[in-house]
Amino acid sequence: MFSALRLSAVTIALSLVGTLAMPPAYGASIPETKEPIKLTLNEWTGQHVTTKIAGIILERMGYKVEYVTAGYLPQFTALSDGTADAALEIWLSNIGETWPKAKESGKVVEVGDLGLKAREGWLYPSYMKDICPGLPNWEALKSSACAQALATADTLPKGRILDYPPDWGSHSEAMIKGLDLQLQAVSAGSEGALVSELKAAAVKKTPIIAMFWSPHWLFNELDLEWVEMPKYEPACMDDPKWGPNPNEVGDCALPNSEIIKVAWSGMEKKWPAAYRFLQSYQMTDEEQIPMISAIDVNNLTLDEVAQAWVEKNKDTWQKWVDAAVK
Amino acid sequence: MPLFYFQHDLTWLTNTAVWLKGPIERGLNLVMDMFVANFSWAFGAISWLLSWPLTELQGMLQWLPWSVTLVAFTLVGFAAAGCRLAIFTAASLFYMVATGYWQESMNTLALVGVAAPLAAGVGFGMGVLGYRSGVARRVLIICLDLMQTVPAFSYLVPLLLLFGFGPVVGLIASAIYACPPMVRNVMHGLASVPSALVESGEMSGATRWQSFWWVRVPAALPQIMVGVNQTIMATLSMVIIASVIGGFNDIGWEVLSTMRKAQFGQSLMSGMVIALMAMILDRISAGFASHVRSTVNTPTVSRSNALAASALLLLALFAASMLFPAMRQWPSEWRVYPAAQINDFLSYTVSRYGWVFAEIKQIVNFCILLPLKIGWLRLFDATGYTISPVNQAAYWVAVLCAMLLASFAWKGRGAVLVALVAAACFFGLTNIPWPVLFMVVGVAAWQAGGVGTAGFSLAGMSFILMTGLWGPAMLSLYLCAAAVALSFVVGGALGALAASNDRFSAFIRPVNDTLQTIPQFVYLIPVIFLFQVGDFSALIAIVAFSIVPMIRYTEHGIRSIDHEISEAAIGMGCSTLQKRFQIDLPIASPAIMLGLNQTIMYALSMLVIAALVGTRDLGQSVYIALTNADTGAALTTGFSIAIIGMVADRIIQAWAKKRQRQLGLQEIRSA
Repeated sequence: MFSALRLSAVTIALSLVGTLAMPPAYGASIPETKEPIKLTLNEWTGQHVTTKIAGIILERMGYKVEYVTAGYLPQFTALSDGTADAALEIWLSNIGETWPKAKESGKVVEVGDLGLKAREGWLYPSYMKDICPGLPNWEALKSSACAQALATADTLPKGRILDYPPDWGSHSEAMIKGLDLQLQAVSAGSEGALVSELKAAAVKKTPIIAMFWSPHWLFNELDLEWVEMPKYEPACMDDPKWGPNPNEVGDCALPNSEIIKVAWSGMEKKWPAAYRFLQSYQMTDEEQIPMISAIDVNNLTLDEVAQAWVEKNKDTWQKWVDAAVK
Repeated sequence: MPLFYFQHDLTWLTNTAVWLKGPIERGLNLVMDMFVANFSWAFGAISWLLSWPLTELQGMLQWLPWSVTLVAFTLVGFAAAGCRLAIFTAASLFYMVATGYWQESMNTLALVGVAAPLAAGVGFGMGVLGYRSGVARRVLIICLDLMQTVPAFSYLVPLLLLFGFGPVVGLIASAIYACPPMVRNVMHGLASVPSALVESGEMSGATRWQSFWWVRVPAALPQIMVGVNQTIMATLSMVIIASVIGGFNDIGWEVLSTMRKAQFGQSLMSGMVIALMAMILDRISAGFASHVRSTVNTPTVSRSNALAASALLLLALFAASMLFPAMRQWPSEWRVYPAAQINDFLSYTVSRYGWVFAEIKQIVNFCILLPLKIGWLRLFDATGYTISPVNQAAYWVAVLCAMLLASFAWKGRGAVLVALVAAACFFGLTNIPWPVLFMVVGVAAWQAGGVGTAGFSLAGMSFILMTGLWGPAMLSLYLCAAAVALSFVVGGALGALAASNDRFSAFIRPVNDTLQTIPQFVYLIPVIFLFQVGDFSALIAIVAFSIVPMIRYTEHGIRSIDHEISEAAIGMGCSTLQKRFQIDLPIASPAIMLGLNQTIMYALSMLVIAALVGTRDLGQSVYIALTNADTGAALTTGFSIAIIGMVADRIIQAWAKKRQRQLGLQEIRSA
């Protein structure tokens, strides 16, 4: 008896938008099928913004869109059998073997680069400049006073660098070795742990240097600065003589991490125009970061923020749509 | 100890060869792939079948106005255990309404509403099977142990591959974890029905079928209801796994995503929903279970009247909620949501008293954790000091004195224990060569439970050794050992206090309930805020969870001491302290040991979650395998955690049984 009244959770949460704007302006061929295109929503705001904007534009093209909340790793199971159709923000820096394996199976395909340029590296709250004079230059970390200030029971006598979770792959160890520093990397276990410690350190003004990445909403909340290092060049990883340390490779900053869009392999056939649109869809750091802070700091809803972007940037996305429906 | 001095030449003793890692993991992956390729249609069908009641129940709970659901649960609470439970139920559900989490809460309830009956049903079937056949029982007991100790994260990938993406995977993971207590209680209940009762049934001409369903099952019903109650609780503690996968918009998703953002207030408030739900369902099912036990039937006339009145009341409420939308959907302007204040409070505490916590951490790190992990020797090396031979000698002289003292107090075994602890602290648990650990555990198992237990322990340890997980396993062992020791001392003291002080007992019970049922992810943020990423934070997170059974069992053990014994002790002129240490604790020791057993299990199950703080142990290995979508590695790691748990369990259970026999006490069953 309840099936008539049944509302799935996802529909309730997101039906507010879906049905409002739907001018099917692109001929009879779109949508190719009436079935909704299912986009995954993962656990962080930036990804929500990326996904929601793409979803709104797809709706304007005439598609039905459904948003599926999905864990970052489990979503690949959904993407390999078409339970979900596309995931629009996959960071190659923290996906481990999950994406390569899914790609190899042929069931999930890469739709192209998203355009975000993820910067990764060591950063610190701005008061650290008093503790390690010379920052943001990395050579400030060479001083033993600085290492001493960062030392903890686990790392004595070396200074402590808070590193990425082990399952994301660690870069700090190689950087410490490359730059010949008296530091030791300690892995945080999760994004929550990294953020908690940075927040707590900022409250107490205790010394901290951590591996982190941008774009991230934490930049809106804390005054964070990057440790400046020699700019990445491929030679840095191959040639020990390159860079400040003549004996080691890896004495430079990290290259930008790639962020890509992926889709279920059957999507291109099922919704060719939508797929072509997703191929050209781009998002930049300069666009995404203010939207993240509008949501996480100024408490606007995801929907308001995404709609505002779509209204304001009609010229940008119209080109992608035109190319897709041609 | 010449062994230790040659360690550099004998690195294979701590840095074990990895003979079987490849074959076992590849084999598991191969089996898994074949399984998925050939049987995924069957699992797909199961998944489809289960998703049907799930969406129906979800639809119904979402469709009902909150006021109707709230009153309905309150009435059920009243029927189960009277006025106090009714008030508690109403207040808890109102919390879910007022905080704006109603929709998510009802989705979680729908998950539990399908997973718990599923687990109870399957558990009943397996229990009957185990009761009928001895072979089945032996196989089942091993399976049940694995189901309870292999962390769900390590079979998440295979479950996803088999059942496909969606909430059903979470449902099945919860059911797997929740069905063992049902099986155990059904087997125990059916087996302990007095044979005279069954015979009298057969004499009056009952067939086998009739005597089973009409005599044996009703007689075992109280025990079976205990199983149902425990199954519900276990389901709730695992239901958050559904949120790791996503796709259901349940309250666990809120817990996880706020934890990721390090928003303590938000994660606490959403986590409380699960804790409250668990407490309500626990009390309600326990209430009905005790009705079954007391077998006092209320007159049917008044019961049907009450039912009719309740139905009328609910209908009236439904009608009213059609008139007043606020009774159907809580207006968002009325939302009570003090998350920001909670966060501010935490920040204030950290900025004001952060130094106190830093000091505590420092002391524990240097006096307990680091010695246990890497040993005094290396600790001093690392800090730049060297310990002179004189100091080393002084340490061992002190140890010898302690051993002498211990042997006076607790005979030879106490001395051995002191020697082991002292050696572990000197050399570090993670540096102990595996043959030494094999010997120590083997002897302990043999002493406690004979050749069988020893064989099982050695086989289990060999598995860990040969799959190349010895290093992470030793880190896990060190973390668990420290956590269990801390829980044992602090929890035992709190339990003893609760046993002698009713007021404290009433205070600690809801604290225990909350610690036990709130998703453990919630503790991680405040722990890191106060103590930073590191072993100490992981330790505190583990202790916060694993201390609960220690408190409970100690209190229970002391409170259930025969009055005559206590009175005899007082009559003989024992002082309070003498009575406590020489009468109460020894007599309660089997119960306390079972508490210790549970504490070990809880600590092991926290390893995977504590890894989110940042460890390098087996818990972390599970995540690494998960990120690499490596089923084989995830499963071998999961089995290794299970093996540590099962070895500890076998040894302690055997010891407790032996001790009970010595004291001439009745067998106390572990939960």
